[in-house]
Amino acid sequence: MLLAVFSMFLQQIINGLTVGSVYALIALGYTMVYGILGLINFAHGEIYMIGAYLGVIFFGIFTALGLTATNLPLSIVLTFLLAIVYSSAYGYTIERVAYRPLRHAPRLSPLITALGISIFLQNYVMLSQGAKDKVFPSLISGGVSIGNATVSYLQLIIMLTSLILMTALHFFITKTRLGTAMRATAQDKKMASLLGINVDSVISATFVIGSGLAAAGGVMIAMHYGLINFYMGYVAGLKAFTAAVLGGIGNIPGAMFGGILLGLVESFGAGYISAEYKDVFAFAILILVLIFKPSGLLGESLQEKV
Amino acid sequence: MPKVSYWKVISALTLTVFVFLGCKKGGEPVSDVIKIGTAGPMTGDQSAFGQDQQNGVRLAVEEWNMKGGVLGKKIELLVGDDQHDPKQAVSVANKMVNDGIAGLVGHFNSSCSLPASRIYNDQKIPMITHGSTNPQLTEQNFKGVFRACGRDDQQGMKAALFVIDDMKAKSVAILHDKTTYGQGLADEFRKGVEGKVKVTYHGGITQGDKDFSAVLTNVKTGNPDLIYFGGVYPEGGLLVKQARALGIKAPLMGGDGVISEEFLNIAGADAEGTYVTFAPDVNNIPSAKAFVDTYTKKYGKPGPYSVYAYVAANVLLQGIKDSNSTEGEKISEAVHKMKYEGALGSIEFDDKGDVKVSPYVIWQVKGGKWEQITK
Repeated sequence: MLLAVFSMFLQQIINGLTVGSVYALIALGYTMVYGILGLINFAHGEIYMIGAYLGVIFFGIFTALGLTATNLPLSIVLTFLLAIVYSSAYGYTIERVAYRPLRHAPRLSPLITALGISIFLQNYVMLSQGAKDKVFPSLISGGVSIGNATVSYLQLIIMLTSLILMTALHFFITKTRLGTAMRATAQDKKMASLLGINVDSVISATFVIGSGLAAAGGVMIAMHYGLINFYMGYVAGLKAFTAAVLGGIGNIPGAMFGGILLGLVESFGAGYISAEYKDVFAFAILILVLIFKPSGLLGESLQEKV
Repeated sequence: MPKVSYWKVISALTLTVFVFLGCKKGGEPVSDVIKIGTAGPMTGDQSAFGQDQQNGVRLAVEEWNMKGGVLGKKIELLVGDDQHDPKQAVSVANKMVNDGIAGLVGHFNSSCSLPASRIYNDQKIPMITHGSTNPQLTEQNFKGVFRACGRDDQQGMKAALFVIDDMKAKSVAILHDKTTYGQGLADEFRKGVEGKVKVTYHGGITQGDKDFSAVLTNVKTGNPDLIYFGGVYPEGGLLVKQARALGIKAPLMGGDGVISEEFLNIAGADAEGTYVTFAPDVNNIPSAKAFVDTYTKKYGKPGPYSVYAYVAANVLLQGIKDSNSTEGEKISEAVHKMKYEGALGSIEFDDKGDVKVSPYVIWQVKGGKWEQITK
């Protein structure tokens, strides 16, 4: 009996970590863009969706070329990388087309174009790929059993890949020149440009990186659930945005922490209290955090910029 | 007070009058075609059902038009997309009414048919659903609401009897998708097994969600012999797949919402062994052979509900012909009286609008294909 209780607990942790690490990957894009532009990029969820679609498309191409049959791991890795690169290009283009021309416009204008881009991308994918669900073949089956709990290999891959990507991002932000430039731009755009930082290209880089991370999440989710559709970005984007706010929007470790926390809360809420209210737990915890710590769990209280 | 010029007031009034006149006119047939509508989930994750429906109705309309239409007029088909969203269904229904349809085939989802039926009923427009199985629909005492398929109380009972008598299951877990259809069906199933089989879990999931691992972990702790699911194939497919990944061996059993080729695509090899309650295999019904052949030639293999949409459209058009009218009340009256001989054999409707005979049988996935396993 004790073993069963413990197994269930462990299983819920595994479930929560899997979903949470994907939320974290998407949340990073929200938080990075917000940190620099003060803009909620509502089109970000769609990038995640496009990443998933590109995964299916590239994998389909490799299957047609016969690479899948001869070298499955290579084709998966290539699918993954190509989807990330291609989605990053989407991210770059969106920023270039929809946000850069409005850089000095009132804050509400880019928010509206963000919503517009989101609707455009959803419909674009629906018209070009069809309204039906797309099925991603199950490639990696099996898993490891711990007591009565099971971790599938795919779940392990998702958790590990997310961990690697997030660590890489952390080093990139703290140790490299571009990362330093990003932090400088986030602190004060005008001062950064006075010091010779090309603010526009820093912003582009932010979008490229954020989109790449979201696409990585998209491809992994497509592999994990095996089912994608054109509106999957909406709810995922909303959840990831919640995660970013939970951790303190604009704060990078906060987004990672918020994502994992959100995944765990959902998983435990659905498992132990009621699955019917799964989404309610996510947003209830958001409200609680906003009441008691409006800047988010890891966010610093904002100072008015004078 | 701001000054309002008279011409603005007058033109505003004139326009309003035009709008009212326009509404009045819209209700009456003025053209030389007879319009009928069909509405269902044409896009979105349940679009496989919507397309089957549209093709079935279209085939019926084309056949009638080839024979010269009905009442000497050509038939025009209007297609509405409710995206299995009840709010959308209401606006589609309003649009259909404004477009002046003589009758409607649909909607598909019970959660859409219920609110939409009120709108059609207000205008006395007959509606024949080909797939909404929730009992409530025909319990509203609406004269113009018909159902060409069975009801969930019959379906849930059939499933319960199979689980008790044939599978001899000792325990079940019951899941549903919180929709009118899914929850209703799960409740009917529970009524049937109550007291005879132990229910280890009973709970809802969210339609459109992709991750059910948390709730399935809970189901696993109860170690049931069977998981019963009231819902539709996208969630059904993911449920069985994720259950296997968690090491749950118990088979899944669903209602008619699960039987779809898409279910097999989504669940892949894990689909094997899944049970479903549905009507008998259309390929084994002699009267449906002509339908299956033409449909296959035109649109490919018929979906599970194609033939129901086809028959429902035929019943509606026959009703128009029998009543020699496009007035809703007269058509409904004719459909109530009708004994229709068609692709599904003989069909008659009772006072509520349900079919008098609606046999449910058990299907199972065998070798990657749906197969009827009981008579």
